[in-house]
Formats: sequence, structure tokens, C-alpha cells
Amino acid sequence: MEEILTITNLTKSYGNKEILKGIDLHASRGEIIGYIGPNGAGKSTTVKLILGLEGDYGGEIKLFGESIGQDQIDYKRRIGYVPEIADVYDNLTGYEYLTFIGQLYGLELEEAADKSKSLMELFGVGEAYHSRISSYSKGMRQKLLIIASLLHNPDLLFLDEPINGLDANSVMIFKEILTQLAAQGKTIFYSSHIMDVVEKISSRIILLYDGKIAADGTFAELQADNTEGTLERIFNQLTGFHEHQEIGKKFVSIVRGVES
Amino acid sequence: MTDFKTLQLLDRFRLLFVKTGIDYDMMRKILHIKLTMDERKVPTIFNQNKKKEDQKYGYIKSLWIYVLFGLVLIPLMGFGQNFLFQMSIAYAMIIFLIMTSLISDFSSVLLDVRDKSILSTKPISARTINAAKFMHIFIYLTYLTMALTAIPLVVSLFTQGIVFFILTGLEILLINLLIVAFTAILYIAILRFFDGEKLKDMINYVQIALSLMLMIGYQVLIRSFEFVNLDMVVSFHWWSLFLIPMWFAAPYELVLHGDTSLLTVIYSILALIMPIISIWVYIKLIPTFERNLQKLLSTSKSKKEKNNRLKTFLLTLVCRTHEERAFYRFATLMMKQEREFKLKVYPSLGFSFIIPFIFMFTFSRSEEIDYASSFGYLHIYFSMMIIPSAVLLLGHSAKYKAAWIYKTLPIKDYTHLQKGSLKAFLIKLYSPLFLVLSIVFNYIYGIRIIPDLLVVLVTSWLFTVICFVTMSNKIPFTKPYDEVGDAQGWKVFLLFIPLGMLAELHYLIASQVTFGSTVYLMMLFFINIVVWKVAFRSSK
Repeated sequence: MEEILTITNLTKSYGNKEILKGIDLHASRGEIIGYIGPNGAGKSTTVKLILGLEGDYGGEIKLFGESIGQDQIDYKRRIGYVPEIADVYDNLTGYEYLTFIGQLYGLELEEAADKSKSLMELFGVGEAYHSRISSYSKGMRQKLLIIASLLHNPDLLFLDEPINGLDANSVMIFKEILTQLAAQGKTIFYSSHIMDVVEKISSRIILLYDGKIAADGTFAELQADNTEGTLERIFNQLTGFHEHQEIGKKFVSIVRGVES
Repeated sequence: MTDFKTLQLLDRFRLLFVKTGIDYDMMRKILHIKLTMDERKVPTIFNQNKKKEDQKYGYIKSLWIYVLFGLVLIPLMGFGQNFLFQMSIAYAMIIFLIMTSLISDFSSVLLDVRDKSILSTKPISARTINAAKFMHIFIYLTYLTMALTAIPLVVSLFTQGIVFFILTGLEILLINLLIVAFTAILYIAILRFFDGEKLKDMINYVQIALSLMLMIGYQVLIRSFEFVNLDMVVSFHWWSLFLIPMWFAAPYELVLHGDTSLLTVIYSILALIMPIISIWVYIKLIPTFERNLQKLLSTSKSKKEKNNRLKTFLLTLVCRTHEERAFYRFATLMMKQEREFKLKVYPSLGFSFIIPFIFMFTFSRSEEIDYASSFGYLHIYFSMMIIPSAVLLLGHSAKYKAAWIYKTLPIKDYTHLQKGSLKAFLIKLYSPLFLVLSIVFNYIYGIRIIPDLLVVLVTSWLFTVICFVTMSNKIPFTKPYDEVGDAQGWKVFLLFIPLGMLAELHYLIASQVTFGSTVYLMMLFFINIVVWKVAFRSSK
């Protein structure tokens, strides 16, 4: 299989704080990789480094067979990105924003307009196409972001909590989209804290913990290596977390005003 | 989205950009989007425009006020030969107006972090993004400068000749470069040393300080010319090297009067090279700037809340009910921490501190004053000019949408909220200002004025309620800032009338009646109690 992304011994520090402590990672065509880990483990830092949003790292990042260095911008044309906390120019309308993004990726205005209109309609938000984004609901905004990341038909997708705010039906549509994209040979990085979803859609799961990779394999392989059954339990086990019952109990007792 | 004339004009310089390695088409697209977005937000100085529709060319239409300001420049630029003197004032005004506009309306452009995540993830070079950013600001400064200086320039072309005209045009360009670079370098310096919320606070303080400085500097400049009116020969001191408007006034002496004295030459050189140096430094620093801009996103350490028993006790005296206290604390925090509120109110707070003195000295210069019997301390009433606009702004917030919580809370009526926030304003913002002013005034006029100062303090409470009732704000912090509309803006000015009347009344009573102030103080106190009761009747 063709290797899309290769990361070798990636390190990154902010001041004295080491966020990434040597990460090795491979991704091939058509894979859906569930990229999970607790808050602050370094997931979004990895993605930001790959996208060139941040620099000054150690190790090597290779995309589509070429190392990304300073001032390399062309590889970005083949990447789509849905950030977790997304800044949007929300005083634009959906149409204006999407065509703008499409054009930045090198599409013609008409092409971008046609594409985004059809995609918005398919996602059930066609009537909001010409309204300001600031008036969108959370789900509509998320749909807009998903469309914006796909307009230019990228080969590699980074999705961070992409189904946040989507209703159940839209989630079904979106999962189907992912499966279809993967079947077309697109590679997808899927970050989420909702373990059930990651468990179901990922062809491979990578767990990042404390700046290092704690697990890498298919769900079946992870199950074989660990005693616990669901991905959620495996996650708890690998990150060494067992106190949920105790904490929950304490929490409720404080809510009720009973001193424990 | 229609195309912009400005961009079509810019197209003619396409080659210039392409030559410097900028992807012109990409830059144009970014600019197009930015301009479209700007049409939809109304800049601070013009937020009187209430009409939401028809905002095409909204910015350009709103420039009329600068055209008006520009008319003031005509006598300075159009007539007279005392260039060093006249042009210093003219350039001080121009710098003042351009810089305040840049700080209040375009800081967001310089400090936009959305650009990073939206644009940098796309295949666009950093150089192009920066060029777009710079051009974005440049376009607006051009509009602004044109509005401000076009008419005086044309007048000067006829009265002062072509050389003057060309020289002025050139210098205005240099001034714009200097202002942009200076502001940016200032931000870079701050970004270097702080991060997270602290950084945003620092930027906020710099903005406040700059606005205040410009406000006061302008006043001082205007007034200082009254002093030197008879003696227009400006004497040079070493510190006048830092009077930036003078740099730009000197070349006129050099070119048109042939004055080749050392200082004129030094000034002229500074006028030419400082903008170029500053722009060069800015360009060198851009990469650092971009990197540090990320810091705006980082979180900073939380601080611990202190609990003071005495404060808590005093608060129970000021605010009787539990709800009122809660809102008092809330309003205090909002005033202290909401940056936009600070940016809008704090400079005028500082200004209110200065303005009593400005008036005092303006009126007192002509005659000898007996400080033991003068009523000059009544100038302290000028400090109350902050109250109408502050009360008005208390109704607004950048995070006005968060007001949904009021609807979900089990609150009977909103009077506690209103009272709490007004009290918070009086105690946390106005009182400290008043206290410092009182101390200074006591020092000047003697402690005999203490009863009168107390009258002023109590009057300020009364005046606050009057303002509140006039403004008809429903709930504090629930409206967006761009809804500070025309009607409300007028009210701020109208409210200066009752303020003047209150001051006049005080003057009459204090000057005509023996112990008048003391009696008046007691009367006011009771009136206050009644008025606060009536104004905040529970509306059930």
C-alpha cells in the first residue's frame, strides 16, 4: 500500500514543556485512523505540525513521499482539515465563505459555488446557504466546516471532533461519507473523545498518551492486547485511569450538599 | 459579493506585487473577503449608523466626519507662512485622528488569530498572507487620509503652490507608514513579553493608554498654543526632538523658506528616515510577530480569589438583598475584565480626571484667584461627564449573547440587577476618581470645601439615576456594542444639561446662602433615597 504520511521520531516542546516525546507514525492510502488520547496528550499539536501551523520541531514529517520543510506550501492543497475549535469568518454567508475557501485551494469560483451549493443541499442545510454564518446553529456550522474541508477533494483529511453538534441522521450520513472516501483511497485521521464512534469507523486506532504512542493497531489487535472489552475501557486501562466511580460518587454527594 | 473599485484600482499595480514574489490573485481574493466582512461591521467611531441594510460603502459613507475634521485643517495648511508652527499643529491633528482610528478599528486586523487557522492551512505563502494583511490596513488608511486631507490639500494647492502640495502629499504618506509600523512594533514588543489573557490585558491597557495620551496630548497641544500665541517663534529644546509632528513641519521651512539651520535639517532628515526605518524594522519582525501571535490563544494561569471580611460587610450595607450583591460583584468583574468595556470607558475615565483641571486653568489664567474663597472647585462637576456614557455602556457587552442566563434564572424582577450594576459603577469606577480629585482639590482650596465635595458626591448618585432612567436600559450587559445607537448617543449629550443645572444650583446655594451647602447636602441625601426608591420600584 502507498504510504501517505510518515512521521519519524517527532518531538516538540513549548519552553521547557515537552509535548511530543518522539512519535513514529505511518498512514497508508484508504485508512481511517482513529487518533485518540486524553486532553493535552498532543493530538492537536501533531496535526498542527503536519499542517505547518507550528514549526520548530524535532524529527521528520513526510507527506506524500516528500519531507515537509520550511516554506513548503503545495502539499497543503491535498489536505483537508476540520479543527476542533474552529474559527470562521462568521459575518460572511455560507456561500461567501465556502467559495472563498474553495478559491484559496485553487478552485474556480463557479466550480466552488456549484460544489458547495450541492453539498450544502445534500447535508440538509441548503436553505442557509445565503445566510450569515453567525446565525447558524452548532450543527449547521459543523456541516459547513466539513464541506469547507472537502471542497478541493483532498487526499488526506484531519477531522477533530467532526460530528460535534450533528444530529443522529447527519451522523449516519457523515459516517457513510467517510467510508466512501476511504474506499476511494483517501486517508482520514479521525480524532474524537467519543469512543463508540471511533471504535466503529476506524480501520486502525492510534492512542497517544503523554506525548508518546501508547497503542497502535486495529481494534481487534487492541482487544487482544488488553483485557478490557470496549475501546472506552481499553482507553481507561492504557491511560491508567480507574477512579471514575469514586469521583462520580463524590461529585454527586457534593451536589446534594452531603459532606462525605 | 460585488467587486470593489478599490481592488480594481489595485489591479493596476499587479506587476509590483508579482515582482516581489507575492501571489497577487490569492492576495486579491483574501482582500476581497476582508473588505466584504468589513462592510458588515461598523467601526467604533461611527457606530451611530443604526440602519442594518444598505451598508454598501458603509465605511466610506461614514468618513464624512473626517471630512469635517479636515475642514479645521484648512486655515492651518491653506494660509500663513509660519510653517513650523502651523504644520506642527496640522500634523498633530492628523496623527491623532489616524492613530486613534487605527487602534480602535484595526487592531483587530493586526491581531486576528483566525487568519492563522483559516489561511495558513491553505496553500498560500506566508508572504502573500502578510501582504494581504498590510494592504488591508493600507486601503483603509488611504480612505481615511484622503477624507481628512483632500480638501485642505486642494485649497493649499491654490494658496501655497505646487511645491507645498507635493511635499504635503509625500509627508502624509510617510506619516501613514510611521503610524502603522509604530503601532505594529508596539504590539510586537508586548507580544514578546506576555502571553494568554495577560497579553490581551496588556494590549488593552496599551490601547487605553494610547487613546488617553492622544486625548490629553491633543488638549495640551491646543492649549499650549494659546500661551505662545504672541511669541510664535518656537524655541528648540533637546526634548523637542521627540515632538514627532515637528519633524514633519520642518521640511517646509527647509524647502520653502530655505532655512538651513541645524535643527531644521535634523528634523527634516528624521521625517524622511524614521518612517523608512520603522517600516524596515516591522518587516524584519513579522516572522517573530506571527509566531508570538499564537500566544494569544494560549491559556494562562488562574488566580485565586481573595476574600475580605470587611469588604463583605461593607457590601451588605450598600446592597441590601442577596441578589443585588451578586449582581454588584458580577458587574464589578465585568467592568474590570471585559476588554471592550474598558477600552470604551477607561480612556474617558482618565479624561474625566484631567478635564476639571483643564477648565480650571483655562478660566483662571486671566485673573488672580483667591483660593481661600474661590468657587473654582466646582469644576469637579466636569468629572461627572463620564457618567452618562458609562451608564449607557453598562447596558452593553461584547458577550451580550450570554444574557440568556437571565431568562433561565428564577429572578422575580431585574431591579436588583440594575441597582447592583449602577452601584458597582459608582463605587468601583467613579468613587476612586472622585476621591483622588477631592484630595487634589482639598490641597488647592483648603478643607473648607469638604461639605461641598460631599454635595458633589451625593449629586453624582442622583445624576447616575437620572442617566439610568433616561437611557431606559432594561438589563445590564445584554446588548451588543454596535447597538449603541444614534438616539442613545444624543442622550449622552442631552444629559449634560441637567448636569450643568445641578452644578449651577450648587453654585447658587453655596454662594448665596450661609451654610447653604450643608443644608443642600441633607436635602440631596433624602432626594436621593426617594429617587432611588421610585426609579427602582419593582415592576410586577
